Amino acid sequence: MVALSRRVGRPAVTALLLAAVVFLVGPIVLTVVASFARSWTGVLPSGFVTLQNWREVLGLAETFGAQRSMGWDPLVTLPVAGGTTLMVPSELAFSVGLALGGVLINLVVGVPIAYAVSRYDFRGKEWVNALSILPLVPGVILGVAFLRAYPELSGTSVGLIVGYSLLKAPFMVMAVQSEFESMPLRRLEESARSLGASWPRTFLTVIVPNASSGIISGAIICWALAAAEFNFSYIVWAKGTQPLAVFLQRHISNSSFTKAAAAVSMFFCIIAVVTLLLQQLGRRGFDTRGH
Amino acid sequence: MADGHAGTDAPSTGRDRRTGVAGVLDALSDPVTERDREYRRIAALCAPFAALVLLAGLYPLAEVVRISVSTDQYRSVGVSLGAYATLFGDPYYRSVAFNSLWLAAGTTVVSVALAVPIAHALEKYDLPGEDLLVTLVSFPISLPGIVAAFMILVLFGNNGLVTAIVAALTGSRPLDVAFAVSVPGLFVAFVYSMVPRATLILRGTYAEVDEAAEEAAQSLGATPFETFRYVTLPQIRPGITGAVILTFRTGLAIFGTLIVIQTLVVWTLQISRELGNGWNVQVAGAMATVYFLFTFLFTVLGLRYTSAEVGL
Repeated sequence: MVALSRRVGRPAVTALLLAAVVFLVGPIVLTVVASFARSWTGVLPSGFVTLQNWREVLGLAETFGAQRSMGWDPLVTLPVAGGTTLMVPSELAFSVGLALGGVLINLVVGVPIAYAVSRYDFRGKEWVNALSILPLVPGVILGVAFLRAYPELSGTSVGLIVGYSLLKAPFMVMAVQSEFESMPLRRLEESARSLGASWPRTFLTVIVPNASSGIISGAIICWALAAAEFNFSYIVWAKGTQPLAVFLQRHISNSSFTKAAAAVSMFFCIIAVVTLLLQQLGRRGFDTRGH
Repeated sequence: MADGHAGTDAPSTGRDRRTGVAGVLDALSDPVTERDREYRRIAALCAPFAALVLLAGLYPLAEVVRISVSTDQYRSVGVSLGAYATLFGDPYYRSVAFNSLWLAAGTTVVSVALAVPIAHALEKYDLPGEDLLVTLVSFPISLPGIVAAFMILVLFGNNGLVTAIVAALTGSRPLDVAFAVSVPGLFVAFVYSMVPRATLILRGTYAEVDEAAEEAAQSLGATPFETFRYVTLPQIRPGITGAVILTFRTGLAIFGTLIVIQTLVVWTLQISRELGNGWNVQVAGAMATVYFLFTFLFTVLGLRYTSAEVGL
């Protein structure tokens, strides 16, 4: 008599994994498919293939309805053909810029503290580590706190950037820390010092370049998460160009199903590009542990 | 752990008066020993992060705590516990707290229970296309709650695929089958967000499991289930505890999902409503304070009294 778990254990666990993948990925595929459909009232979306939903979401076609499309803003004027102006979708460009600002702050705060925790032993190290890799507060609470503490600043770009950087800092610290932990930090530092480099110079020109793969991964992950941050943006955002996640939510709540699908699919495209970039760096998806 | 001061560690090179906070400051400003210089480096490395946490985290939170006991709606003046009296006296807020707790706890149990076999299959079995499977399971980590809610609408909404299939098979109307905009739908949407995160944590734990012990158990005649139960599970238990703590925190923090599927009022949604309906910032501040204290104590106690491994 072969034990039950020997006969069905592995097939059952594998089947559960596949079911989970279908549950997680199935609706993503369906959304992308539906974004090219004219309508979705029956079992499956129908009326293929139309780009109308995408054109409306991206603001390339006239629309009516509760949620307006993206506006288009001039980004730069290129000195070709007598000054061609490069236009960009404003919500997209706005969020790309905000998330980049958040990443810059994360680089400045995240890389040093990850080095301190990986390289040195000191009292309270466990607590510094826990504080740097655990989110301090969720987006909603931070939003309320920002509204109260910085009433003028909270809804502006600066407020959003600073908020994003605090919310996403743990991911930067974790990604960089996992890279540092795979490096012979003490040996690197001592070699550079014995060759005459000062400690700041050692850190900036030896340690940081050697950890570039982890730092870039952390930056990409933080960027994607900041671009998608909804909770904090929803609480503090008041007027002007919408952050991307607020734009998505308005579409999900107010637009037709196929148009909302196009808006969400546009976001999937961004995440897909980010995932491919991370894989180029040897990481499997949104994994802060590359090794 | 944090009960001592860095200065007390300094080797006594004729400088053993350097104890306490003043000693630390002295060592930082005028380092004499290599150990002092190392402390200065550690302080310099931690300073930018500390500045961000102070300016963007602790100061705004302190302002929120202050306004929650203020007697004025717009300025922090006087001391009144009115907001807390409302919070703890009004049965409505008790039901909101209860909703938050059971929803987060229930979805945490389901998500971690699903994540253990998923991580097991990904890390222990040699599956074809394993890298792709890992990427697919990790993909939803980057999706905000509003998108997770949309995914549930796509599957179980009025026009949803599963709704349509079930309706066609059973001959009932789609509107009777659809359950996306209901408490079970919300539950499934939470699980959608939380399973990939729990899986990520548990995969990290699985990577450190001692395979030799598992092979020894197998060759001594243990069944796969017995091997899992008596050899693998004890090793991944700290990871499971860590996953439960982090996933529960995630569950409590979810907000966007509730904006799309508004069927249950939980703590985060109520905070937003307090601000929306007439800028009731004292109560919102009190709710934020209670939330912060609860998750802080819960995490600290969780890390202190279990061997939980925390970190993604």
